[in-house]
Amino acid sequence: MSAGLRRRMVDLGCRALQAMLPRSLQQWGWAIRCEAANIADDGKALRFTLESLCAMMPRAIAFHLLHHFSEGSPMMTRFDAILCRPRLIGMLCASGSVAIGLAYMAIAGAPSRYLMVNLVALALGMVMVAMFARTASTGTRSTGGAIAAMAAALLATTFFGAAADGATRWVHVAGLAVQPSLVLVPLMLVAFSTTVRSWIATTGVVVTALAMAVQPDRAMAGMLVLALSVLAMMRRDRQVVVALAASIIGLGVTLMRADALPAVPYVDQILYSSFDVHPVVGLAVLGGSALLLVPAIVGARYDRDHRAIYAVFATVWFAAILASALGNYPTPIVGYGGSAILGYALSLFALPKRAGDATSTASPPRGRPEAAPSDGELLVALA
Amino acid sequence: MSRTRALSPHARSVLSVLLHAGGQWSHGYDLVQRAGVKSGTLYPLLIRLEAQGYLEAEWQPPIEAGRPPRHAYRLTASGVRLAHANPPGPKVVATGGRREAMT
Repeated sequence: MSAGLRRRMVDLGCRALQAMLPRSLQQWGWAIRCEAANIADDGKALRFTLESLCAMMPRAIAFHLLHHFSEGSPMMTRFDAILCRPRLIGMLCASGSVAIGLAYMAIAGAPSRYLMVNLVALALGMVMVAMFARTASTGTRSTGGAIAAMAAALLATTFFGAAADGATRWVHVAGLAVQPSLVLVPLMLVAFSTTVRSWIATTGVVVTALAMAVQPDRAMAGMLVLALSVLAMMRRDRQVVVALAASIIGLGVTLMRADALPAVPYVDQILYSSFDVHPVVGLAVLGGSALLLVPAIVGARYDRDHRAIYAVFATVWFAAILASALGNYPTPIVGYGGSAILGYALSLFALPKRAGDATSTASPPRGRPEAAPSDGELLVALA
Repeated sequence: MSRTRALSPHARSVLSVLLHAGGQWSHGYDLVQRAGVKSGTLYPLLIRLEAQGYLEAEWQPPIEAGRPPRHAYRLTASGVRLAHANPPGPKVVATGGRREAMT
């Protein structure tokens, strides 16, 4: 790691600490930052900063949680308002996960183009979520048509997409290989869990299972099986059972077919290879992957009426992480690749706009404001 | 102001270094090196000692131009008493900048 990068990480770590420390401890944040700046050796300065960060950050978080939960301060209002917005939580988690992935790739020596691609994908994902934010939530009958359209796109990829080592999963866009299944299948599954299920939507999922079998793509086929199994356990109906049966057949086909794709650096197997860079980097990558599940965990906690949606969302991304651990499949978000980032952002759109919206009868979290600030205001407040 | 729980070996070590500094001000990184503790151990300890009145802290202007100011620390009178009452333990002692096991 270059000296300049170490110094930037020192500065970044100190700034993060200062941002989290309560006002009463701000001078200690400055003390650590100034002391680190006075250490001539870059490596020792970085170690000094990271040790301080690791020790002080949990205290800062605990302070905010305990203090503001108990006193109902304006910070508590903002915190609770965030808890009520699964999409916003998801965007924050995606940003954190991408940031961890960028740090990993920078430290591991990935080409700078990789970092740029992930950043652009994150920006694009955020813009898409923001654009769709004002539209009605999924769960309407028109969702069935959207699912069918996505299935048609995936089927078209299967027959007309780019092939490599016997698999046909990609399309080339602006010189980049995009994996449409990783972009669309998470959205499709979460949307399928929200919609008033129709045979159009079910047909779309069945066609997708067929497409994954033909491509072949075990990771996505496994994602379909796991997510539909969870949905069948929580909300069993004929359409879900049919879709689940098709997905099981699709997964069976992919297991019988050869999957000889080699691991690609900074894309596949990084849950393991990141530990070769440094154990802390490996732990950070694992943490970045776990962040992807946070919106579902928080949503399920505060929005009991939509637990099936959150369960499917969590299962979808857990399946993606599991696949990346078991085979040569992209490690979502923390690894190089814009498809997973776009897919994650799009799948956020299928979550309820606000926890407890519409038909929800669940109690709002304690301290939930009557007129909550907008997402934009919350982002500004967090910044 | 009263101490409510036994001090850890690290706390005793830091107190010992501050005590040996007399009335001189010490800086965070110096304390890390001389007491043989990690910065993640030191700062929470300094925060607690200052909050309990055992430690005073001040900002000092940079010695060299272009460097940032530094936060410096020294024991108060009650801190000196606390350090005397809590010498480094039998297994951990601050000696010349490193922590050594007593045999």
